[in-house]
Amino acid sequence: MVSAGLLDATVQGLITGAVIAGGALGLSLIYDIAEVPNFAHGDMITIGAYLALVFNNPGEIPFLPDFGSVPFVLAAIIGVVLAGVLGAVYELAIFRKFRDNDADLITMVIVSLGLALVLRNAVLFLVGSKNIQYQTPRVITTNFDFLVTQTGLTVITTQRQAGELVTTGEWGYPWWLIVAGILAAVAVGYAVFALYREEEDFTTVSLIPPKILGAAGSIGTVLLLGVFARLDPQGTDYILGTQIGLNVKHITILAVVIVAMFILNVILKTTKLGRAMRATADNMALAEVRGVDADRVQLVVWVVAAMLAALAGILTGWFATNLTPNMGFALLLPIFAAVILGGISSPYGAVAGALIIGLSMDVGVYLIPGSSTYRVAIAFVILIGVLLVKPEGIWGDV
Amino acid sequence: MAVADFIISLLTFIAIYSLFGIGLNLKFGFTGLIDFGHVAYFMIGAYVTVVLTMPAGAAGYSGIGGFALPELFGVLGPIGSLFGWLLGVLGGMIAAALVSLAVGVPTLRLREDYLAITALGIATILTTVVNDEEWLFNGPFGINTVHAPLRDVFPLSLGSFTLNMAVFGILSLAAFGLTGYWLARAFRRQGRRGKLVLGVLVPLVAVWYFVLPTLSDGMVELTRNTLWLFDPTAGPKGGMDYDRFVLLLSVAALGGGYWLVERTINSPYGRVLRAIREDEDVPRALGKETFQYKLQALMLGSALAGAAGALWAINIGFIAPDQFAATITFYAFTAVIVGGTANNKGVILGTAFFWGIRNGTRFIDVPSQYSIQLAASRLMLIGVVLILILYYRPEGLLGEQDYDIPLPSRDSSGGTDDV
Amino acid sequence: MSEQNTPTPTPGVTPTDSPKIGDDGDPILRIEGITKQFGGITALDGVDLTVDPGITGLIGPNGAGKTTLFNCLTGFHKPDDGRVHLYETDITGKEPPAIAQQGMVRTFQIPRELADMTVFENLLLAPMNQHGERLRGAWIRGDQFVEEEQVIRDRAREIAVFFEIDHLLDEPAGSLSGGQRKLLEIARALLTDPDIVLLDEPLAGVNPTLEQKILGRIEALVEDGYSFLLIEHDIDLIMDNCERVVVMHQGAVLTTGAPEAVQSDERVIEAYLGGDDV
Ligand SMILES: Nc1ncnc2c1ncn2[C@@H]1O[C@H](COP(=O)(O)OP(=O)(O)O)[C@@H](O)[C@H]1O
Ligand SMILES: [Mg+2]
Repeated sequence: MVSAGLLDATVQGLITGAVIAGGALGLSLIYDIAEVPNFAHGDMITIGAYLALVFNNPGEIPFLPDFGSVPFVLAAIIGVVLAGVLGAVYELAIFRKFRDNDADLITMVIVSLGLALVLRNAVLFLVGSKNIQYQTPRVITTNFDFLVTQTGLTVITTQRQAGELVTTGEWGYPWWLIVAGILAAVAVGYAVFALYREEEDFTTVSLIPPKILGAAGSIGTVLLLGVFARLDPQGTDYILGTQIGLNVKHITILAVVIVAMFILNVILKTTKLGRAMRATADNMALAEVRGVDADRVQLVVWVVAAMLAALAGILTGWFATNLTPNMGFALLLPIFAAVILGGISSPYGAVAGALIIGLSMDVGVYLIPGSSTYRVAIAFVILIGVLLVKPEGIWGDV
Repeated sequence: MAVADFIISLLTFIAIYSLFGIGLNLKFGFTGLIDFGHVAYFMIGAYVTVVLTMPAGAAGYSGIGGFALPELFGVLGPIGSLFGWLLGVLGGMIAAALVSLAVGVPTLRLREDYLAITALGIATILTTVVNDEEWLFNGPFGINTVHAPLRDVFPLSLGSFTLNMAVFGILSLAAFGLTGYWLARAFRRQGRRGKLVLGVLVPLVAVWYFVLPTLSDGMVELTRNTLWLFDPTAGPKGGMDYDRFVLLLSVAALGGGYWLVERTINSPYGRVLRAIREDEDVPRALGKETFQYKLQALMLGSALAGAAGALWAINIGFIAPDQFAATITFYAFTAVIVGGTANNKGVILGTAFFWGIRNGTRFIDVPSQYSIQLAASRLMLIGVVLILILYYRPEGLLGEQDYDIPLPSRDSSGGTDDV
Repeated sequence: MSEQNTPTPTPGVTPTDSPKIGDDGDPILRIEGITKQFGGITALDGVDLTVDPGITGLIGPNGAGKTTLFNCLTGFHKPDDGRVHLYETDITGKEPPAIAQQGMVRTFQIPRELADMTVFENLLLAPMNQHGERLRGAWIRGDQFVEEEQVIRDRAREIAVFFEIDHLLDEPAGSLSGGQRKLLEIARALLTDPDIVLLDEPLAGVNPTLEQKILGRIEALVEDGYSFLLIEHDIDLIMDNCERVVVMHQGAVLTTGAPEAVQSDERVIEAYLGGDDV
């Protein structure tokens, strides 16, 4: 048995970052294309989470009859779709009107604040402030003990079954395999990078930047080798040891956010609508002159952003097994931090910012004892530090 | 509780929050700075003042201090003690201004919306710090040993019952007279709609205040409401009680803050502030160091919020971190926008409107299990009002105020400075 | 804020009657190798230029980089490379207020009136280093405050009369017509009492009578020792009124010289005919 350490905090940070990324992607779209610094974004996250709750666990909502529970995945999908409808409502009923009035940025800030108050208190009004959770199958966490020994790396997996800690697996990787694996990962990563970089000359838009593809290739290689090249345990006399707790939630959240990002990326880069969106982001007036239907673009932006926010909310509520009316507002500051950190006009920047913020929050809390109430503060200190040095954000104003 | 007492407590509230709102108006209304962290300076002002003025080693308190400034100067009598308290308030204001300086330096050079988010973040963090660090200001337990200035002097009695009643009564009537005069003047300057509103509202309030109590409780109640400064039950000979003093103190502070902000904006300095609000590049191109101006406006507004915090502490008699949630900032924004952004009278009107409704709805009888629903619907209403006002009447009830730099007139023809 | 503390009785308020320094022939502005890129676009590609006292015209097709050059000179953009000297002072990379304080003021191509303030307030804002512009001066008002404000008001009225916007003094600046906004923009710049004014297309949209009047005023101010760098599209106007002309094309200076010389320069004709529009 070893205790959880930095690596576990890093995994937590990745999950936090992924959830923040879901919110940050939508916020950066709204920020950049609709030019609204949307203070209601946190509460759009909350709304999304509760919309799924309506179908998944209606018995918990006082004003609803208990009409039975829809499976979580289905409820989540319905919730995301309904959130998208609400997104259209925000745009049509509020933000389009203000845009038609040429409202300035300050006005938009206050308007979104007004919307935030309405949304959060609507949840409070209808559901109350008690903690609620989704009805989902119980999730079993597998603890991976990583032991660095004289001869290599030993991995022991344990699970808690009926209150007992049960060892479910034990294997290892000798040093030569580890070295070979690292070399293979670097080679694959570079090969992928080189391949796609060359292609960039011919196709003007690359769907995924070659650097990211390369990194994905490296990570994929390590994971594949890790799963399929499991050899004998390398002893348990460890020099260094650490534990990571993983369950299906971790994997699902990462996968869902990556898929959502990919879909958004495809939309932005390959469809006519995406081109219209990017043109509008550059210059709304000019895009309209060139025949872009700005109203339609803005509508799509709000719908997509609201759906992404709902996704983030549902994932958060599921991961924390807890929904509160304040859950989204608590994410608002880290999400803004991520977006500003990444440079508001770049969705990739927003994701990168989200990962940095998520990691620094969880790793920071791990490294600084007694700082758990300062998670958000850590994110903010980093944001302000970066703004002092590079006000346009890390991704720059490309 | 007599109507007078309810009114006094409501007016005290309004005066304190108006001072808070005027600080915000200097930042937001005149300079265009969206400080979503305004409540942080309210909190800092309250805490620093309380810690500077309360006695050391208070029971149940494990934070820094207190520094007992009033006791220190108390050897000079009540005036010295009051001076000590004022020093404490000054300390609170300076602390608020310094913290806003630290917030402003990194953020004010950035886009205007970045200030909003970083200020909100920093305010949230500050509240967390005050809440979590018990060694600082006693953490979540708050401080209940708030020094109340001149508490010993009250109830203030001048001698016999009749004398008290006469003096405070005359002062009360004078206050009514002044209000009436002011209302009449406002009435004359209003347009038709304003005349209508005043013509309906004022008699209604007058009837509610003077006539209704008479119907239920007779002349005693009427006397109490009319001679509102005089409280017959305060002490053996009647007199002026402490609540009434706190009201006067708050109104005086509001008057001071109002005057200071008016003085500040009705000047070449104020012209630069408003130019920054309109388009910062213009004053920059004309050689104005706008960054300095923004920083000063932020600090001055924060100092006023700090003073409001000091008054808040004595009015409530107990401070704790949960009194300083971000919603207080949003209330103030609502009050400023409803009354009229960049209009100091509008801030007072908006604050009165806002807190009148908010505290008025406290009397709505709802079963206690629906108290959350009541609070939530109030905040929803605020959100809706904000959006509606910004859409249908972005200038608020009163609209932007007029500006004038009074000069001893040499000529008064053409191009006067007022709009 | 350190440069501004010279203790003149009413700083920045008295119209200069003594000639400005630098009219002994020394260049006012020395611009060396200014380069500015936006993303992939090179807006300025090593601009070298000296600006002598008097009126200098700056022409060039749309997108030549004229406005960008103004932005780089006045601190609104930081040039990627190169140096700018105003008289002997290196002002490269300084902030706009500091550069304005040094005596170089610009107008904006698209007028930027302060819409919710009156025309009068727009003008009153301009004079530099007013006592009442500092917090202490605004709070503690002595005779000086009154005197200074009165002088400023007189000057503002006087210039408003000249630019024929005096009947609009009490109107919000947002209600002005496009041409009137241009005039307000110029008037405001002049009220700062600068050494050199960079005017970005000041005459576009101004009626011809007033155009002549403004040019006349500019010439009169040149007599008093002021200098101007003037972007203008109407070549004839430039040729008639400027002592020297600078032609920019694709982010660089194509040629400089006397109007006649420039007018007959092959490359200039080429640049104008080659560009999309003038
Ligand atoms: N802020 C900016 N961002 C990106 N490109 C700019 C910016 N300002 C100017 N440019 C580009 O620089 C070039 C020069 O523009 P400009 O200086 O306005 O030309 P001119 O004033 O001579 O018409 C143009 O191609 C323009 O698109
Ligand atoms: Mg131009």
